[in-house]
Amino acid sequence: MFDTTMIMAILPEILMLILGLLVLVFDLIWKKRDGRDLGWLTAGGLLFILIVTAAIARPAESTLVFGGMIRYDMMSYVFKLLFIFGSMMTSFFMMDIEQLGKRGEAYILLLVATIGMSLMASSADLIMLYLAIETTSIPMYVLAGFMRDDEKSTEAGFKYLLFGAMSSTIMLYGFSLIFGFTGTTALTAITDFTLPLAVGIIFLMMVGIAFKISLAPLHFWAPDVYEGAPTPITGYLSTASKAAGFAVLLRLFLGLFPETSPYAPTWTMIMAVLATITMTLGNAVALSQTNIKRMLAYSSIAHAGYALVGVVSLSELGVGSVTFYLIAYVMTNLAAFGVIAAFSRVAGSDEISDYAGMSRRNPTLALVALVAFLSLTGMPPFGGFVAKVFVFAAAVKADMIWLAVIGVLNSIIGVYYYLTVLKVIYLHRMEGENEEAHPIPITRPYAIALTVLSFAILAIGIVFGPWFNIASSVAEGLF
Amino acid sequence: MTVFIILALVAIITALGMLISRNAVYSALFLVLNFATVAVFYLLLGAPFIAITQVTVYAGAIMVLFLFVIMLLGTDELEDTDNLTWQRPLAIGLAVVLVVEGIYLMLSQNTLGFITTPSEDLGSPQAIGDMLFSKYLLPFEATSILLLVAMVGAIVLTVKNKKGEQS
Repeated sequence: MFDTTMIMAILPEILMLILGLLVLVFDLIWKKRDGRDLGWLTAGGLLFILIVTAAIARPAESTLVFGGMIRYDMMSYVFKLLFIFGSMMTSFFMMDIEQLGKRGEAYILLLVATIGMSLMASSADLIMLYLAIETTSIPMYVLAGFMRDDEKSTEAGFKYLLFGAMSSTIMLYGFSLIFGFTGTTALTAITDFTLPLAVGIIFLMMVGIAFKISLAPLHFWAPDVYEGAPTPITGYLSTASKAAGFAVLLRLFLGLFPETSPYAPTWTMIMAVLATITMTLGNAVALSQTNIKRMLAYSSIAHAGYALVGVVSLSELGVGSVTFYLIAYVMTNLAAFGVIAAFSRVAGSDEISDYAGMSRRNPTLALVALVAFLSLTGMPPFGGFVAKVFVFAAAVKADMIWLAVIGVLNSIIGVYYYLTVLKVIYLHRMEGENEEAHPIPITRPYAIALTVLSFAILAIGIVFGPWFNIASSVAEGLF
Repeated sequence: MTVFIILALVAIITALGMLISRNAVYSALFLVLNFATVAVFYLLLGAPFIAITQVTVYAGAIMVLFLFVIMLLGTDELEDTDNLTWQRPLAIGLAVVLVVEGIYLMLSQNTLGFITTPSEDLGSPQAIGDMLFSKYLLPFEATSILLLVAMVGAIVLTVKNKKGEQS
């Protein structure tokens, strides 16, 4: 009954589960450990899983496995690698955070969230999909509220839980209507989707997904949760978790309402409007933020809008560009949050004004901040630029020039607040102008992760061909 | 049919009673009755397993937990501290719109034939057992991971750190 395809399809999940249980057991029996040991175990294990998965679990063709529960195709392969990478970087960032890095529970929660995301990206059945979303969300609620002594963290965890539970309930209504009308939960079995309530179902499902990727009407949780959650977790939440949401969006909407469906114009139009509102609102509100985590929260709302432009174009290029965008965005935003985590660990502040003189306090860290923020802006040698070009190109090709224009205008607004941060870092001085007396030492895990991410951002921006080939191979499976 | 209509009335009245009652204990008891009626619905639909689960898990375990929490917190009488006064009329209005829409939809279709009924033996315990360990094996395993991590999470958030953050 079992064959190798089935094992290969869930190989990363199996390995991550084993790693998680190892961490849990070691946490219990390994008393005389140094603070970072569990972190190194997690990060090393994830690196091993990343290499093994990349090497042997590449699917030859798209197949349905486990009774049609999950799909084993290029899309799940690429997204799983992205999640494992993001999770590895996050565990590097977590190691040196007080109250977080020394506790084994934090790592097992992180690993299970990653398992959930991997399943989200490969689900081909509504039941599996819902379970995967919950497997991702529940550990993330706990991680957001992990710092129990910190009021803001507790508030973040609780807010995330309430909004998350509410939105997944609404999405579940949509799923139940689909099951009620068609009698099946398998996405592949629902080919002819012409139901009386189709538009209602589109709205209900969109609520759940819009919450996950923080689209405009459902974005309000993001700034509070991002600000309160421990910084590495915020980084993970804004990158991998968002990418998983996009994977579900692509699978659900391209699966249920493909180009030929009569409802395709309806949902692409709704999404185009949402993308416009999301981009504009995210950028406009980000302008007035003084806390860097809140600013990046609004910026990540805006980025969800840019990525959505690619989904709206409903073409192979569009899906490829979204995937490419997500890859570039995950690297960039992880680097940005890594810098913030490294800075606030020493300086103890997330206010933008406290970043004054950072280029003198630690030139290397400032350089990484420069790379990350310029990539977020969309400056040429970095990944963010190429990603934006592909997304807007997809919109133009799909005759949605107005959307591309709005996107470009929004990127220009974005330049202002990203460069303001860089201005504070490079041009402003600390009070007393004695920056040398306040150095910001970077510990080894941060050094490793930030180096990898900076080179990745550069590599995506300069040698974008291979990356785009990978991203396009995702699209081929969906059309 | 008569059984269904009576039960439906009971279900709707208890659901409303749960929402309107200002006493938390009454609310909880209304909810128990509502769960019990829904369980009978499942029996009528030929799904005995789900009916029994509904009674044991929801009406039994979860409601007892609810009642415990209400009694431990001692907030059995809620004061009217609703400061979003515009919300209630709006919610009632929207609910009426939804009901009218649903009725219109059913009448305009003239039939409920577009609803696909699942196969007859779907609800029997044996069929569910078979499905859980064959077709739904992966979701079943995923649920076990989810429960494990939910437990870890609950412990992380509630248990006092006895080691006193030894760092």
